[in-house]
Amino acid sequence: MDDFEKELKLGFLEEASQLLADAEQCFLALESNPQDGPMLDKIFRLAHNLKGSSKAVGFEDIGVFTHRFESFLLKVKNGEIPVTSSVISLLLVCNDHIRSMVDTLKGDLDARIDSSALMERIESASHGEAAESEPVAAEPVFEEEIFEAPTPEEVELIRLVNHSFDANSIDAGVEMPAPVEAAPVIKVAPPINSVPAPAAHATPAPEESIRVSLARLEKLINSVGELVILQTVLREQSLSSNAHLLRKTIHQMGKVTKEVQDISMSLRMVPLRQTFQKMQRIVRDTSGMLAKKVALVTSGDDTELDKTVLENISDPLVHLIRNACDHGVESPEVRQAKGKPESGTVKLNAYHQSGKLVIEVKDDGGGIDGARLTAKAIEKGILKPGTVLPEQEAIHLIFHPGFSTKAQVTEVSGRGVGMDVVKTNIEALQGEVQVETVLGEGTTFKVILPLTLAIIDGMVVQNEGCRFVVPLSHVHETLKPAVEDVKHTTAMGEVLLLRGENLPLYRLNTLLGHKKAAMKSANEQIAMVIRYAGSPFAVLVDDILGQQQVVIKEVGSEIQNLKWMSGSAILGDGKPAIIIEMNELVKPAKRGAA
Amino acid sequence: MNHAKNANANRERFLSFSLGSEEYAVPLLAVREVIALPEFTPVPYTPTYFLGIMNLRGQVISIMDLRQKLGIKPGLNTETAVIICDLNGASIGVVVDSVNTVLNPDSADVSDKPEIQSNRPTDYITGVYRKDKKLILFLDLSRSLSLEDHAAVRKSAEVRAPKAA
Repeated sequence: MDDFEKELKLGFLEEASQLLADAEQCFLALESNPQDGPMLDKIFRLAHNLKGSSKAVGFEDIGVFTHRFESFLLKVKNGEIPVTSSVISLLLVCNDHIRSMVDTLKGDLDARIDSSALMERIESASHGEAAESEPVAAEPVFEEEIFEAPTPEEVELIRLVNHSFDANSIDAGVEMPAPVEAAPVIKVAPPINSVPAPAAHATPAPEESIRVSLARLEKLINSVGELVILQTVLREQSLSSNAHLLRKTIHQMGKVTKEVQDISMSLRMVPLRQTFQKMQRIVRDTSGMLAKKVALVTSGDDTELDKTVLENISDPLVHLIRNACDHGVESPEVRQAKGKPESGTVKLNAYHQSGKLVIEVKDDGGGIDGARLTAKAIEKGILKPGTVLPEQEAIHLIFHPGFSTKAQVTEVSGRGVGMDVVKTNIEALQGEVQVETVLGEGTTFKVILPLTLAIIDGMVVQNEGCRFVVPLSHVHETLKPAVEDVKHTTAMGEVLLLRGENLPLYRLNTLLGHKKAAMKSANEQIAMVIRYAGSPFAVLVDDILGQQQVVIKEVGSEIQNLKWMSGSAILGDGKPAIIIEMNELVKPAKRGAA
Repeated sequence: MNHAKNANANRERFLSFSLGSEEYAVPLLAVREVIALPEFTPVPYTPTYFLGIMNLRGQVISIMDLRQKLGIKPGLNTETAVIICDLNGASIGVVVDSVNTVLNPDSADVSDKPEIQSNRPTDYITGVYRKDKKLILFLDLSRSLSLEDHAAVRKSAEVRAPKAA
């Protein structure tokens, strides 16, 4: 296989994945509105596209299967087979099958996949359904199968196929998006996978794009990060020079460098759309399995975020959505009794808020009952009997490992390994989860994520001559404490009195294992108040040097087990500094105090 | 140790260096480069031989003192160098007293390490090479730095690339 052919095939597979995702959306839309004619047309076009392209690049297995699939779709489209839930399910199964073929082929371009079993199912479905619902139409369908004579529909199909192959993209574009691979244009325009072809209206000239491997992108971003650091060093050095032209040039270079950095970071950003589309399917399958009626409403699926974050957020989101369907939305009977619409709604919404990405999963179900959670926790021995927790803390029990309130463990969710894993995973991405719930009205999970993992806003602090970076998002405020606000207690160590709050006060010195060599008075130091996932506390540092954006650099695997160190950053002078995860750093100190 | 013998079949080359008054060598293929001792940032809660982290052209790597790790008194010379090694895809800086030469040993001169009663662990020595009355010990670097001890490392690495159950 020559390179060109290989590239063609890989391009097709990429495109096919997109087409399949689109098709799945359409199937689900069709289910909610079976009479949606234009939707059926769109599905048909997608299937047709897939068939044309797969044959054009030489994937016979997909071609043969999609041909059968298309014939079946045609019958659905022409009303010979009514759109029932079972038909939709079959269509989805077919969709899955094609996807698995595509995935297999991605691994091995010469793989052969046997689809005969599923093809028989399609055959029998087109028989069975037609015979049952339309006894009049049964005979011609039957005949067609025996004699293999083309029906009028098939004739039409053949006409369409020929049409789309003979006439090139120019004229086919009006009627249907041309199969990209079939047309000779590929040589100039590589397949576009990020821009889904708008199906309903005539396609305007799409923005041209190329696919780049993530590894190369990473390399570029790394080098740009390095460039930014060197630029900073250069600027610092130029300050001691009197050459005006030099300083001016460096200043301008700084602007360009910043721009290059912004662009290179944006290259990693991808829209949430595909992830959200996947959720439609999850909701459908989950609610079907639970015999509930749940509609998923998504908004903000254009919102972009870092590809790495996106990959890692997918699983936790699936879990939250499943939970909303399973534990959140009530069964239709309960809902009716409560006077709610029979069908529950799960809203999935994404938006940017103050430099962060927020993904909301909101259900209109029964809400979380803090008292019930507490009772359950006591029963499970997580809490001591007789404990009364404030509402908010009680709700956070759902994140406790090994906690599941649903009396019945279902296949869908509730193996007791859920929410704590969700929380851990999101925190590993430097994010956090918030829960808001109103009993009887529903629950909202807010997942708050950084836009990118590669760069954070950091506060550079100095301690004993060493510099450290603390993520700015962890720092709530900084202050110079007055002597009378710092109280020493033998039982709890030092306590900072801050506007009516008593915060545990730690010294970075001690936290980092330096012996209490020179205990400085607290008022010579600066207290950072950390309010981030967990109870608040304050940490005394020698000095705060400033705030800056830092590029996170992974450290070697030898020291990755140090949990309080979330990475390192190279500062302006080229020396690396440790990024401190304060919450982890104070953990042993907390245990010591308890 | 079969390792040393197999290696000699291909006439593997080694980079020799001094630790105190002793001479050691590591397979040349594991060496990425040799640099002068750079500025580094110490990391709290690590063993004393773990000097800290350094910036190698934008990459942050760990730097360790092999002399302290093996319990050898540092020499008095000022040629202290850092050998940047490639261990299972990750780079690590190793501080040595001086870098000497590249060896291309004849397999006849290389033997297994002698069976010596010692209370120090010797499993990081893969072979012994006699050259002009000098004794050069071949090292397995990842063993000598006890990198296997950091099995927990993988675990924390998994948290960074999480998978929901």
